[in-house]
Amino acid sequence: MVTPQQIEAWIHAGLSCDFLRVEGDGHHFEAVIVSPAFRDKLLVARHQLVYQALGDRMKAEIHALSMQTLTPEEWQARNG
Amino acid sequence: MSAQDIIREQVSTHPVVLYMKGTPQFPQCGFSANAAAILKACGVGEFFSVNVLESNEIREGVKAYANWPTIPQLYVKGQFVGGSDIMRELYQSGELQKLLKTALAN
Repeated sequence: MVTPQQIEAWIHAGLSCDFLRVEGDGHHFEAVIVSPAFRDKLLVARHQLVYQALGDRMKAEIHALSMQTLTPEEWQARNG
Repeated sequence: MSAQDIIREQVSTHPVVLYMKGTPQFPQCGFSANAAAILKACGVGEFFSVNVLESNEIREGVKAYANWPTIPQLYVKGQFVGGSDIMRELYQSGELQKLLKTALAN
């Protein structure tokens, strides 16, 4: 079974993140991802960057991944 | 017709298309249920929905069509809008309502 830590490692390997947190039960996962790569990108393009990092694992090992994708500025504003 | 041709025709002939698991009345996945509920909350009572569980070709085809690995998928005026997370964010910011209103007005 896939663990949230594995998903974090896969995302980290393909996308440079300022902050990353994945939680889940092995089937459904929730991720908060903060990356400078999201700047000037619409939501679809941001999610696609994450899907790209996960590659074929999205088809096979991960049933459902819910995500929030934020730029460092948006993340700071949210936590400010 | 190939799956890609079928999908292209579906999204270009209907202003709002939702590819989902199950139907709006009987969704078979929580994310698909959310997506259908969001459209209803936006005042879109009737929309063209495709149950991907009825066709593996469409289910896999639509993932390739938008380069998007998950279901549900929303298309408005032929454009891929996103999956259920994006629909929720756009709904909360009011953008989805605007997009749908414009699409259904003309």
